[in-house]
Amino acid sequence: MCAHCFLQCLAGPFSKMAQDSVGFSSDYQFWMQKLSVWDQASTLETQQDTCLHLPRFQEFLRQVYEVLKEMDSNTIIERFPTIGQLLAKTCWNPFILAFDESQKILIWCLCCLINKEPQNSEESKLNSWTRGLLSHILSAFRFDTKEVGLFTQGLGFAPADYCPGLLKNMVLSLVSELRENHLNGFNTQRRMVPEKIRFLSRVCIPLVTLPDIEPLVEALLIYHGHEPQEVLWPEFFDAVNEAFLLKKISLPISAVVCLWLRHLPSLEKATLHLFDKLISSQRNFLRRIECFLKDSLLPEAACHPAIFRIVDEMFRYALLETDGAPEVLAAIQVFTRCFVEALEKKNKQLKFTFKTYFPYASPSLVMMLLQHPKEIPQELWHQPLKHISEMLREMVEDQTHGSYGGPFECWFLFVHFGGWADIAAEQLVMSEAEPPEALLWLLAFSYSPRDRSLQRAQTMTEVKAVLGHLKKLFRSPTLSAKDLQAAAAESQDRDPRPPLCQKLIRRLILNFLLWAPGGHVIAREVITLMAPTDELTHEMTGLLDQTLYRWDHLCMEAPKSRKLARELLEELCLAGTAC
Amino acid sequence: MESLLQHLERFSELLAVSRTTHVSPWDPATVRRALQWARYLRHVHSRFGRHVRIRTALERRLQKRWRQEGTSGSFPVPGLTNFQALGRCDLLLSLRLLENRALGDAAYHYLLQQLFPGPGVPDADEETLQGSLVRLARRRSAVHMLRFTGYGENSVLEDSVLKTQAELLLQRLREVPKAEGEGPSRFLSALWDRLPQNNFLKVIAAALLLPPSSPRPQGEELELGTPKTPGQGGQELVRWLLAKSDVMAAFCHNLPVGLLTSVAGRHPELSRAYLGLLTDWGRHLRYDLEKGTWVAAESQHVSWEELYGRFQSLCQAPPPLRDEVLTALESCKAQDGDFQVPGLSIWTDLLLALGRGS
Repeated sequence: MCAHCFLQCLAGPFSKMAQDSVGFSSDYQFWMQKLSVWDQASTLETQQDTCLHLPRFQEFLRQVYEVLKEMDSNTIIERFPTIGQLLAKTCWNPFILAFDESQKILIWCLCCLINKEPQNSEESKLNSWTRGLLSHILSAFRFDTKEVGLFTQGLGFAPADYCPGLLKNMVLSLVSELRENHLNGFNTQRRMVPEKIRFLSRVCIPLVTLPDIEPLVEALLIYHGHEPQEVLWPEFFDAVNEAFLLKKISLPISAVVCLWLRHLPSLEKATLHLFDKLISSQRNFLRRIECFLKDSLLPEAACHPAIFRIVDEMFRYALLETDGAPEVLAAIQVFTRCFVEALEKKNKQLKFTFKTYFPYASPSLVMMLLQHPKEIPQELWHQPLKHISEMLREMVEDQTHGSYGGPFECWFLFVHFGGWADIAAEQLVMSEAEPPEALLWLLAFSYSPRDRSLQRAQTMTEVKAVLGHLKKLFRSPTLSAKDLQAAAAESQDRDPRPPLCQKLIRRLILNFLLWAPGGHVIAREVITLMAPTDELTHEMTGLLDQTLYRWDHLCMEAPKSRKLARELLEELCLAGTAC
Repeated sequence: MESLLQHLERFSELLAVSRTTHVSPWDPATVRRALQWARYLRHVHSRFGRHVRIRTALERRLQKRWRQEGTSGSFPVPGLTNFQALGRCDLLLSLRLLENRALGDAAYHYLLQQLFPGPGVPDADEETLQGSLVRLARRRSAVHMLRFTGYGENSVLEDSVLKTQAELLLQRLREVPKAEGEGPSRFLSALWDRLPQNNFLKVIAAALLLPPSSPRPQGEELELGTPKTPGQGGQELVRWLLAKSDVMAAFCHNLPVGLLTSVAGRHPELSRAYLGLLTDWGRHLRYDLEKGTWVAAESQHVSWEELYGRFQSLCQAPPPLRDEVLTALESCKAQDGDFQVPGLSIWTDLLLALGRGS
């Protein structure tokens, strides 16, 4: 299945329930009943139920407004005699008022009820009543004691003046209380009972996108009580995660890690949200993928092994389902890069060995793969490549050694660090010497992990033959497209090349074009011959993007090759539907 | 410049009227003009925010107005008290009109149309009036949720209310016209006469305990109710307290002991005055030979237990204050004759009870 279809399948259970409008009037009845039950949302059950329905109710309010705005006040009362009740009950439920845009839509609805020229006492009364509700939403404020109200009035302040400041102070004091409880445990003067913390998490659900509440949300996420079970409301995590993914709240990485560690569904949703962005139908350049990844905070959070394992598991699943789609491979590679980068930044406090991240892999292989090519002089790159190849080969071909998971696991580990395969492909083309068997094996394995030894050997032979031809042409002054075509041609008396082998050969040809002195002259012609279809063009742009990305990160100086690669990439993108 | 100042005057009057029944004859056109004026002043605010000369001139005019109104004996605080307020003058006006029941139906309807145009207007820019009003509504319900649907004891939230009132008080103190230097004192005395005194005392204590902070950078925007230099206003408060002995007495009498100790710790001048009061109260106690304790001569005097409690709290404070208190007690004891035996000097007995007599 292709990557895109895979995503659609996954999106199924998480998509919003389709609003089957069985009719506006039945919705109306439904919500009227709900509102009556909820009343002022003063009990645990009503609060919980209200929170569950907040987004849907907001949608309903929008519908109500759309209907009301077309009518004048009298018509509204005729058509919906109980509209007043509905709107009033909404006003008195603080959870609804606090949520997202509900208060705004409610105000719009109430505005529709105002009659600009009331003709009789009924209409006047309705106006008066509506004005009262609007006041309630916008300005009324009630303190526990009269004294405070008198004080603020005496100073000439209206609720609009001190409300933001009061909210800030309340949040600050709650945050410091939470922090005190978190740090001092049983030694605090004011112990926060678990019910209070749970209540706070409930209250935060509708308020999660209000910037003033951010410090409280953060403090709740980081707070660790002393009870064995989770003390926060699960819907709280959902709401925070949603808001975070839609960028409606900004949280520090420590809080996000707490969120994902405490609530697994949030982590899964976050990863799927990322997949959605990365594996969309539009081609994403690796640079952009890197931005998305860093933005999502997943690589940084993955420094915590539990999070890494879960995200990695989801990548593995995606890879299996899409049969190794290139987009997924690219995503894994960039993810690992960002992850290692984040890990190194925290290196001073490196708490977990790599075994915790890759428990099923040989530690020495992991260490080898984690090496930075940048730290090794280019002439010596063949050494680590050879070691990696030998280690992998031993694991893959040794049937009895089941402990490292078999070919797929080895391959899955290797693709995390796919840069090595790219380097191998480049080395093979650039070097004058006889292609080392180890490198041939490594490439063949990386492109086609499921091959049996015989098929792999065949691939290696084919590739060796093509390389032989290419080497002869490398320094040729009269290089032509036809020459290259001949070099890459399949021999007539053998079985046709399997598609993955063809893919590998295309790759080598592209490398050749980028590195051979005469390559730039014939590059376009060759590519047109090699990639006549959209799919193949897509493949070519992917390879070019990957190559440029790698050169940037390795700080490779290769001005001519770079220029050519960039030009080709631009042309291919402009030309077609590939980008 | 002059026209701008006049405009400011007219708008201030308009703002004052908007709360009264004088708006009942207003029609939609009047509302429109009023909103336009407000919008203009808001534009002035954003345009001239960094222009020191214009800003100062406007503020001076506002202060002059306040002084004029103040002397008339009634006690209004004007709607616009400083340059900052201009940035929200349309919000202020709108809210006053929205709450004013005297506003006619047609005018009210028009007002709503202007303030809440509906979904067509892109609301991503939080600067729109609709956005500000809606945000206010949301914050209001947040406060309500955190406070009224609260759980169990709410002392933490009571503190927030006190702290907010303290911040408001200090803000007003900063704005009060200071020409004669008496402005703040007169203002505070007027508040004392008019407002519930118990709450006022608590707010003063909270204000005196607010953390001192760095000077406010020039031209920076402030949200009303969140002042950044509370320390400044604190001085005015201390000065006023020291000048008004009756307030000081009530302050020391009614507030919880621990709170007073904290305040004394922060403000040395107040600690001296507090000590003075305590020694005064001490002198009113007589030793009752039969009961073997110190008793108050009259019912309104402070009792031994209370006096002891206060001194005990003060002695548990950190060094500068604690030492000051002990020194004062020692010197009182010396003045009395430096008795070592209990029952003769209250100061000896206090020191003995505190474990520091010798």
